[in-house]
Amino acid sequence: MHAVDGVTLEVEKGSIQGLIGPNGAGKTTLVNVITGYVPFQAGKAWLEDDQLTGLPAHRIAGLGVARTFQNIRLFKDLSAVENVIVGMHSRRRDDTLAQLGTLPFFRRDQRARFNEAHRLMETAGLDPGEVGKRAAGTLPYGDQRRLEIARALALQPRLLILDEPAAGMNPSEKQGIRELIERLNKDGLTILLIDHDMQLVMGVCDRVAVLNFGRKIADGTPEQVSTNAAVIKAYLGTGSERQASSAPGATGVEAVAAEEAQAKAGSKPAAEPANSILDVHELSVSYGSVNAVRAASLRVAAGEVVALIGANGAGKTTILSALSGLIRPASGTAVFDGLDLTTAKASAIVRHGLVHVPEGREILGRQTVLENLELATWARRDRAAAATQIAAVMRRFPILGERRRMRAGTLSGGEAQMLAIARGLLGKPRLLLLDEPSLGLAPQMVDEVFAAIKEIHDDGTTILLVEQNALRALAIADRAYVLETGRILLTGSGDDLLHNPAVRRAYLGG
Amino acid sequence: MGQQILNAIFIGSIYALFAVGYTLVFGVLDILNLAHSAVFTLGAAVTYTLVVNHGQSFWLACVVGILVAALMGLVIEYVCLRPLRRRRAPPIAALISTIGLALIIIAAIEQGRPGTLFAWLWVDGANPVTMPPGTFPNPTWHVAGLTLEGSKLAVIPISVVLMLVLGYVMRFTQVGRALRAVAENPRAARLMGIDVDRMIALTLIISSALGGLAGILFGVALGDISPYIGRDSVEVRGLAVIVLGGMGSIPGAVLGGYLLGLIEVLAVVLLGSNVRAGVAFAALFLMLVLRPQGFFGAQLREKV
Amino acid sequence: MDFFIQLFSDPVAFWQSHTLLVSQIGINSILASSMFVVLYSGQLSLAAPGFMAIGAYTSVLMDLNLHTPLAVDFAAGTALAGVVGALVGLPVLRLRGVFLAIATIGFIEALSLGVILNLPITGEGLGLRNIDADPVGGVYIVLISLAVAVFLLWRLTKGRLGYAWTAIRQDELAARSQGIDVARYKLIAFVISALLAGYAGAAESHLYFILDPNEYGVPRTVQVLTFAVLGGSGNVLGPVVGALFLTTFPFVFKQAGDYIGVVSGAVLIAIIIFRPQGIVGRGGFAVVRPRWWPHPQLRAPSTG
Repeated sequence: MHAVDGVTLEVEKGSIQGLIGPNGAGKTTLVNVITGYVPFQAGKAWLEDDQLTGLPAHRIAGLGVARTFQNIRLFKDLSAVENVIVGMHSRRRDDTLAQLGTLPFFRRDQRARFNEAHRLMETAGLDPGEVGKRAAGTLPYGDQRRLEIARALALQPRLLILDEPAAGMNPSEKQGIRELIERLNKDGLTILLIDHDMQLVMGVCDRVAVLNFGRKIADGTPEQVSTNAAVIKAYLGTGSERQASSAPGATGVEAVAAEEAQAKAGSKPAAEPANSILDVHELSVSYGSVNAVRAASLRVAAGEVVALIGANGAGKTTILSALSGLIRPASGTAVFDGLDLTTAKASAIVRHGLVHVPEGREILGRQTVLENLELATWARRDRAAAATQIAAVMRRFPILGERRRMRAGTLSGGEAQMLAIARGLLGKPRLLLLDEPSLGLAPQMVDEVFAAIKEIHDDGTTILLVEQNALRALAIADRAYVLETGRILLTGSGDDLLHNPAVRRAYLGG
Repeated sequence: MGQQILNAIFIGSIYALFAVGYTLVFGVLDILNLAHSAVFTLGAAVTYTLVVNHGQSFWLACVVGILVAALMGLVIEYVCLRPLRRRRAPPIAALISTIGLALIIIAAIEQGRPGTLFAWLWVDGANPVTMPPGTFPNPTWHVAGLTLEGSKLAVIPISVVLMLVLGYVMRFTQVGRALRAVAENPRAARLMGIDVDRMIALTLIISSALGGLAGILFGVALGDISPYIGRDSVEVRGLAVIVLGGMGSIPGAVLGGYLLGLIEVLAVVLLGSNVRAGVAFAALFLMLVLRPQGFFGAQLREKV
Repeated sequence: MDFFIQLFSDPVAFWQSHTLLVSQIGINSILASSMFVVLYSGQLSLAAPGFMAIGAYTSVLMDLNLHTPLAVDFAAGTALAGVVGALVGLPVLRLRGVFLAIATIGFIEALSLGVILNLPITGEGLGLRNIDADPVGGVYIVLISLAVAVFLLWRLTKGRLGYAWTAIRQDELAARSQGIDVARYKLIAFVISALLAGYAGAAESHLYFILDPNEYGVPRTVQVLTFAVLGGSGNVLGPVVGALFLTTFPFVFKQAGDYIGVVSGAVLIAIIIFRPQGIVGRGGFAVVRPRWWPHPQLRAPSTG
């Protein structure tokens, strides 16, 4: 299986090139190959006249290819200024001998370095006076992203690769990043931008390339790409309805939703249920300085399918992780059938009947399919019934029965998702949390997965579903919540939201 | 030569038993438990003291020795490891805290003299001792020019049986699957309702019990019990074994144990006894340079 | 307590009766500094005693057999340690975390058991007698070299080299993306550490009349590691403070005397749990969290 398969990409000097594709399409892998972290197996790369193929990462950086990382890799314990100074490494003279000797000479040099670092920070939109001395790990999220860019700029690069620089930001923060990118480009920097936010990418890039399953499926101007049928299909999956592309420059949901809500004043929204088995109130969760979820409230009644949709970085997975006990919220309450989820141990939560099937499936690759299933009955007291249930589950998902003696790591994406769901079911859940079940799956696998979800629901299991594929999710959901940068923005019945123009433009339009 | 082979198998069994405990902890926790060799020593010391200073029966003393070792496993978890996990400390911290506990254990034994604080544990200070003859059955046979000592021979089936049992448990029981799940992916294990903390405690108990038993077998069969047997015989060799076999792999530890026993014996035969120990470490170094994951370990890669 | 009383009431007499102690503190501080360099660059190298041995034996053998001046002996010992440091450091560069630690343990044990204990010229198990030893005169040389070493290291950490090391320690991957040749800088740190340890070994060998081959094994490396961790490896002064504290500890607490091992172990555990950055920390109370570990770490899920 190829993570990147025969991709040819040309980035014009002085332009901003976008690189998009669904999760798992190979975008980051491609970047890792270009920047020297993953070896070239076939093919070559050049930066102007310099060949990059086969060079180690630090040499490529030295040639002028700078990058930021998807997961922010700052030197957390160093101050912001120090981070940028490290970035100046390849431009600095080797001053080892000078260090060992004359102090005054060194001081002058050091002052020059600090000034340069301050200048770079200002270019990236940071206030050196305010954040310069603070440890990078303590900075607010947006500032960390900017700092990573400042550090990359210290390389005086010819090409700057930004890997999801705006992930997890609210619309105004994203606007700031967009302005930064445009400013850097105007000063002559060539930029390769990877991101999931279509409005950002389409709005700022001169050209956009699209990857899917490791292959390039489109390459052209934003207008061309966003109306390309193959691209739409890759992103949206096969829903019964499809929306044309979003207009470049559209703003986030917030502003539009306010308008639409007024216009819709007449129609009845779906009410939240009176008796719910899951009651979440003003939940807030943070990772260090990142406020991933802010005062979110939602309810789920027995027998419902509730969908949680929103863009990447909106906080959906964080909410689920807080509910299943993997992380502790900063504030707020979450009660599941009498159990306080904010303090209970994860294993106790599972025993109480709340099962979380995580994003990325997280099956135990080294154990066999059967072992995975058997282990899933760990929390149950009724062992005998468990055995019959395992058989039942293998009947419902025949592929698992076929492959039961094979190591789970050899399953394809779709099969692994089936296994993950089956595993979740074997825990005898009263509430099943499904996190991005269609992630990285080919369209027909997605169909099968959603069919399975429907069956499970028909059997009476309550489901809280998190999905990027908003079309499918809203189509099967009774009710849904829309999450944006950690806040619940809208709620309504699946149908209502499906037809809500603001939702459609932001999340379904490409 | 035949005698040497026999010795190799015997000492290899001890190495294997010890290394299995080592690698089990590494597999589940990604930590090197440097208190393991101290537990090895403790097992031998406790058994000896019970027999010689407290007049207990040999068999009872052995059982108690193993129990004490297992208990020490719990101490390691609650004192050294869990507080660090709670604080999300980097792995080196666990290395240091287990070193600290090892220091305490060995120093306590070293200081054991009549009338001191630790006299109940040990009274011979830094001196090596041997189990008095007659405490345990030790028939000796002479067959085909080989000397077969009952105690040494017994070590082999005991070790083999234990390793088979452990292997069976790990592969075929629910608990074994749970431990492997924690080793592979603690997050996924939690989501399946597995209490990861409890599994870790269980791992330490099993590992330390095995370590303590290895110490008892060593001390009894070889007739060498002192505060330093852990440090001198197995501490560093245990590392060599798990590196050879692959860190985290139980079959690797078993294979590595016997392999090391064999390498050492061959080194003695071919190069003379002085080079013996040095060979083990040369092998260790080479393995790390050429194939850090050992024979059975998984490839190590960091994600970008 | 009489220790402190004498220290403050009659410093001259104190100095005269404790010269050897001061020298040993100095030596241990240089060793701790050698540890500092590798830890600062993110490498958990436990090879210091091996390089000490090289420095010690080379200088003593040269002195006894070639009758060269002391300065030449020291220089030769240090230089040879540096050369071996480069040879050992090169193959182990890509090993991370515990694997590097084990490889270096393999090195020192192989050196100790394979070489030192086996060569007639090194006196095999009995060690060497150094008739030219000078327990008292050496103290000034030791203290001056310590001051110079610490100063040089301090300056290095402030320069381009130090920044590169810090970046590597924090995140090798990100360091590479900034154009830092990680392999080269790690090797430089490794060799500097070997030079320092070699020098310390040479100096120490001229303080005592007997050169004991057992001094250069795992217990020594644990001791040096403890100096660095206790004092804090984020700051050049940290390990020195750690060495000072731990070397004088048994002298100050003579009552503890016998139980020094137990107390040390307990203190070690307490410090690593409650103040992992060591006594000195980073001078800024930040906790240093290196990304050494080879196993992919479970990080917080992406915000989404």
